[in-house]
Amino acid sequence: MSTREIFDGRLQAALLLVPTVLVSVVFLYYPTARAFRTSFFKAGFGRAEEFVGLENYATLLTNSSYHSSVALSVLFAALVVAGVIVVSLYVTFLIHEVDSGQDWYLISVIWPYALPPAVAALVFLFVLHPTLGVLTGPIEAVGIDLDWFNDGPQAFVVVVLAAIWKQIGYNVIFMIAAMNNVPNALTETAEIDGVGRFRRLVSVYVPIMTPTLFFLVIINTIYAFFGTFAFVDLLTSGGPSNATNILIFDLYREAFSYFNFGVASTKSVVLFLVVAVLMVIQFRLTEEYSYYGA
Amino acid sequence: MTDTIQYAKRRFEAVKRSIVGDRDEESTLLAGREGNAGVHLQLWFLVTLVVFPIFIAVVVSTKQQGIVTSLPDLIPGTYAVENYREAIVDYGFGRFMWNSLLMSVVVVVGKLVISVLAAVAIVYYRVPYKDLVFLFVLFTLLLPVPIRFVPLFQLINDLGWGNSLLAITVPYLASATTVFILRQHFLSIPTSIVETAKLDGVGPVAFTLRVLIPMSRGVLVGVSIIMFVYAWNQYLWPLVIIDSEANQVAQVGLQLLQGDVQGGQLSWSLVMAGSVLTLLPPLALMILFRKPLLETFAIQQK
Amino acid sequence: MTSNNDSTREISRRSTLATAGAALGATTGLAGCMGTLGGSEAEFSPVADELTAWHAMGGTNGETLDAIASDFEAEHGIEANMEFQDSYENVLTNTLSAFDSGNVADMFQVDSLFAQQVFDTDQVRSVAEILPDDFDTDVFLDNVTEFFTVDGELASLPFNNSNAIMYINRDAFEEAGLDPDDPPSTLAEVRSASETLVDEGVTQYGITWPNHVWFVETWYGFEGELMTDAENGHAGDPSEFYTPDAVYDLYDWWKGMADDGLYTNPGIEAWGEATSLFISEESAMVLTSTASVAGLIADSEDFTVDAAPYPSISDTRVGPVIGGASFYVPDGLPEDRYEEIGRLLQYMAQPEVQTEWHKGSGYYPITQPSVDALREEGWFEENPMYNVALEQLQNGDASDPATKRALLGPARNVQTVIQDKSVDAINADDPASELEAMKSEVESVLAEYYE
Repeated sequence: MSTREIFDGRLQAALLLVPTVLVSVVFLYYPTARAFRTSFFKAGFGRAEEFVGLENYATLLTNSSYHSSVALSVLFAALVVAGVIVVSLYVTFLIHEVDSGQDWYLISVIWPYALPPAVAALVFLFVLHPTLGVLTGPIEAVGIDLDWFNDGPQAFVVVVLAAIWKQIGYNVIFMIAAMNNVPNALTETAEIDGVGRFRRLVSVYVPIMTPTLFFLVIINTIYAFFGTFAFVDLLTSGGPSNATNILIFDLYREAFSYFNFGVASTKSVVLFLVVAVLMVIQFRLTEEYSYYGA
Repeated sequence: MTDTIQYAKRRFEAVKRSIVGDRDEESTLLAGREGNAGVHLQLWFLVTLVVFPIFIAVVVSTKQQGIVTSLPDLIPGTYAVENYREAIVDYGFGRFMWNSLLMSVVVVVGKLVISVLAAVAIVYYRVPYKDLVFLFVLFTLLLPVPIRFVPLFQLINDLGWGNSLLAITVPYLASATTVFILRQHFLSIPTSIVETAKLDGVGPVAFTLRVLIPMSRGVLVGVSIIMFVYAWNQYLWPLVIIDSEANQVAQVGLQLLQGDVQGGQLSWSLVMAGSVLTLLPPLALMILFRKPLLETFAIQQK
Repeated sequence: MTSNNDSTREISRRSTLATAGAALGATTGLAGCMGTLGGSEAEFSPVADELTAWHAMGGTNGETLDAIASDFEAEHGIEANMEFQDSYENVLTNTLSAFDSGNVADMFQVDSLFAQQVFDTDQVRSVAEILPDDFDTDVFLDNVTEFFTVDGELASLPFNNSNAIMYINRDAFEEAGLDPDDPPSTLAEVRSASETLVDEGVTQYGITWPNHVWFVETWYGFEGELMTDAENGHAGDPSEFYTPDAVYDLYDWWKGMADDGLYTNPGIEAWGEATSLFISEESAMVLTSTASVAGLIADSEDFTVDAAPYPSISDTRVGPVIGGASFYVPDGLPEDRYEEIGRLLQYMAQPEVQTEWHKGSGYYPITQPSVDALREEGWFEENPMYNVALEQLQNGDASDPATKRALLGPARNVQTVIQDKSVDAINADDPASELEAMKSEVESVLAEYYE
């Protein structure tokens, strides 16, 4: 390894690192630290900051609508992550199995990687609009009464679907690489043993792909918490009845609609902690699995 | 020296192929399997689901402004030129697209340059604590914009950058992902090449320009696409920090377009035209450069 | 005293950082793209060289505004740019954040709902001080002046003012056997008309309106009920949110309409969706701003649209609350700009401009001379729909505090609570408990702000 380190100049190395470190400190670490600090203040536009200690945290602890927002976000993330993984895995498997047109199929399902969330949201709004949507007629013909401007759970489902749609492409990209890496010998052995196609996916491919799947679970979790703002903002604005008021939207509204910077910063801190805890749990699980798997 | 490098490059390619997996071999193996009609059918169904919403957007963007509310209305219209012209010229979407392009190009170029520098330092310099520096950079993955947008907003305003291109580019320049991918890639370049370079007394600048960059073309293109898509698709931060129409980006411009057309007439046609326009640049780049993009993703995961 | 020190420190911190920002910008090679930085004595710098007004007028109304700006330019040789910001909410957010950043627009259009929030920044200069001396502020209609005068001075330039009115689809009414010349005037009548329309299979819904607090406010106003204590916040800091019996009746009616499929909720603040439902003849009635009149006439190609007064909860009709917005000017711009701003403000209040604006948009003309001019040319006889809101306004009792729109510091927050809780109430088995929740949430928001 050490043979790669062919240059010695410490000053040179430092200079090379300065831009990245500087931008990280100024625009990433410093604002994060300041968010922690502001979480102990009452603050807003044109208002002098006022130290309030733990009051903002106490407010959140006793605020039941915030509690439901936390629960909602966790549920949202769980559904998005599970949905994305299952759908992507199945699509990937089909592409892996198909005898011709692989490239064509692949492009047709991975393109949403490039899809801007704002576009995804507006297109969904148009397609599934409860009264004007193009698909509303056919869906209602099946017997589902589309009413997601009033019906909270429906609105939640619509946002989840839009979020899943956008994220499939990214997942298939990784899964196809992982699936192609499964040694042919294993596939052949399974076939000789007469293992059915679907069981081959579940009991041969999935275990081998576990590292990739864990990686994707982590990426998708981050996406579900942080990358889905546009969906909520453009589709439901958090409603109806806060049914889609996930943490990131709630945070935005606190900061830039109500201008309560103190409480908003507290919410940033909580969001950070929630995601950090989830990351730790997921890394633990990954390690545990690798341990037993080894 | 060039010969050695050429040889090593070929070897490296061979190694990489063995990692990524040889698809041709596998395809012949797959051809013999049964039940492909069913697989095709299912794929067609799923592909249709994934493509359908955008297909609708494209169709609607070609239709006369008015109301499209049912499936039978979904026959492409003849108003494409008019709708796109109206969105781009009358509703200022051209301006938004230009701002997005400017933002994305600045972010891609800036990120690429400073991340290459950092990765070179981390991989090819013998300095203490560099793993710590790398961790320091990597940890920023846990600090996305929403965690820090209130203080960042105040900071940008204090810097006097509010409502400017600086505000939507500079904070994005440090990239854990890019540094990570480049580091992984540099680590996969065989040490023999590096040692040869050292024996030849090649300096760091020449090494980076003549050895590293030529050997990393695919990865550099790949990360550029990743960064472009990322920058182009940003919505929340421009929404917060940009408040004049003249500087707005396409993602937020879509919201303006929607509000604008709905304020008076109803025109989903225009909103869909805007949506298609906004999707086009990242989609085109992704399709054009899918090979290096997929290879780069393969590195990211390791 | 303390706060003064704070603000001085705030400004010096800002300018130090701004210098650092310029330096950092220069080193990253992007300095050329930056706007002008502060450095003069003025606290704010303008966002652009030309006069810039941030507004929330989309569609045809936005185009009319652009036309007004270019006419002004032609007449006075001063460049003016009207920038669309999507919604009043966004104009407010951008304005407050601009106060923080120091780069502000010369004028910004604030929904009367958010007036208090803007006053509370102490960063606006009253337009009475900016308008040229020869400008007579008495030209505005009484009801309008009443609302926009603060501490005896015209604080902002009233410009686009409106009421909520009801639009009906005449053809649908006739088809259902209803008399379009006698549209429903109370909620009970709206319900029975809706039942007929739906039962006859003419339209899918009877009525719709955007879920926006303004409609609820208008119902309070007509009923002569205050929303909060301290005369809707005009006479001090409000702390109590009132929910009189009439409001319980309102929500019972609203829920009943929703349950029976007579009303459809187009979404929160969904102005466009609500008119879309009306245009596409899904709903035969829509409650929305008088500002939609021009657009609705233009878009209703397949049927005849008509306008009617807002339906009230009961037979009591005290008066509507004034909606719409006015233009505010920040304090602290370089002094030489105020003269130009004053001329633009004056231009916008001219009778000809107000007349053009009224005809192009449907917002009522707010100066007496333009009302007189329009009457004289017979405009209202020819276009009776344009008269509905004006008449509704002038029939209202402007002296009743209930018709003065609430001035609440945390208006945006209160607005969200009311809108969210409205959806809860129509979905709940018992709207009353949701109304109680609405009351206590609004009151806690008020307490938090005014504490």
